[in-house]
Amino acid sequence: MISLAQYIKKSATYKIFSNIFEECIKFLNTIGQIAQIGFHLIKCILRDGISFKELAYQCERFGISSLPITLSIVGMTSIIVSSQVANEMVKQGGADFIGLLMTILIVREVGAVMSGFAITSMIGSSLASELATMRVTEQVDAIDVLSVDSVGYLFIPRVLSGIIMMPLIVIVASAIGIVLGGITSNLFSGLTYRAYFTSVWLGLYMKDLFVSIIKSAVFGGAIALISCTCGYYASGGAKGVGIATTKAVVWSFIAIVVWDMVFAMLFFF
Amino acid sequence: MSIEVRNLVKKFDDKVVINDISFKVSDGEVLAIVGFSGSGKSTVLKLISGLIPYDSGEILTSSGDIAMVFQYSALFDSLNVFDNISFALRERKDLRKKYSKNDLQKIVAQKLELVGLKGIENKFPSELSGGMQKRVSFARAIVTNPNTILYDEPTAGLDPMSSTLIEDYIVSLKHEINAASIVVTHQMSTILRTADRVIMLYDGKIVFEGTPTDLLKQDTPYTKQFVTASLEGPMKMKA
Repeated sequence: MISLAQYIKKSATYKIFSNIFEECIKFLNTIGQIAQIGFHLIKCILRDGISFKELAYQCERFGISSLPITLSIVGMTSIIVSSQVANEMVKQGGADFIGLLMTILIVREVGAVMSGFAITSMIGSSLASELATMRVTEQVDAIDVLSVDSVGYLFIPRVLSGIIMMPLIVIVASAIGIVLGGITSNLFSGLTYRAYFTSVWLGLYMKDLFVSIIKSAVFGGAIALISCTCGYYASGGAKGVGIATTKAVVWSFIAIVVWDMVFAMLFFF
Repeated sequence: MSIEVRNLVKKFDDKVVINDISFKVSDGEVLAIVGFSGSGKSTVLKLISGLIPYDSGEILTSSGDIAMVFQYSALFDSLNVFDNISFALRERKDLRKKYSKNDLQKIVAQKLELVGLKGIENKFPSELSGGMQKRVSFARAIVTNPNTILYDEPTAGLDPMSSTLIEDYIVSLKHEINAASIVVTHQMSTILRTADRVIMLYDGKIVFEGTPTDLLKQDTPYTKQFVTASLEGPMKMKA
């Protein structure tokens, strides 16, 4: 004779809701871990200062290694958008606004968001797998046993390098995106470079540039913090490293979209 | 007294893994903690080193550093041997300004000589054999002259000659720096060659305490089963 409780536990509805509940707990747990590490990080910076040698190394890693892929992705997105838009705009008599449209699109959104996605896949995954491997091979424990704060040692240079390098990457990627937009518009719809770049200047607002730089710094810090946190709390060998890396990429993508929404609401509504 | 553990209890969720254990280790003494896999040996080391918190009880240590040699060495694979060994001296807030580059080079060279590995400062861990990695991790552990050294299965996975070498280093370090040492192992050769005293854990409890000679006498069902490596006896292997 099966009891009511056992019957409910075996039902599909119960399993669905229990899985959703479990995922919610994991979601809150991850947010808690990221917040906890974030506060500890600030404490470490104030208490121990910054190792500039390690920061320089991480900046080089963050900036140089991610630059080709970031420029490619932002550049290709710009080519795709301008090839779609330029013809239509010319047909509708809006050729004078192609540069303006591309500039607003790239500076406000495409530059930072697409760079964020590129850097997440390139650097975020690398940071998460590096720290996760260090965790499962007891290297993080070794740092702690040697009386060095592992959060301070591992996180400070990585997160700061994200905050410093991401705006620089986004500025370069956005500039290349705007130029490629002009070349594509010229090739696909015969728009002159003079007309395009005159329009670009009209769409280049100081406020947009400022917001883009701040947003990129937030994206860079968030990607590094989330990726390092996912790696830092990894467990369970090779499988754990894989799980941590996937989690870092997914969470970083979510963070980019959420922060982008927050910035759009704060500055452009 | 260098380490004293009193009524230590550790639970993971509801499972008690360390159940009210107490022991002492004096300066210059080597205590071996033995037992089958899953008996809680490594957990004891993690509790003493502060890597995981305990639920109740006390761990009293003399002032000074606690060092740990990990089962798989846990060398930082992105750093060379010099940076690995000098890590604590360069990164610890209280030590980082105390030593010049020359001082660090002298200290690292001295510690490497102590473990019989002169002139490998520029090599990376991936370029070293398992035995050499273990010896470098010894050098890293003793760089701050700790008064407590914890060894987590120091000879696991090594060939017999490398094991003998490591066992000799444990004994020589005991004399060199007079540290209180705890060696977690289940290898008889390591117990017999290094330990002054032995405690055996089963199910998180101490089921035997004595000298290595007492262990060999097989006076209790636990020691008999451990020494003869028998499946029959009071200790059941977990599935």
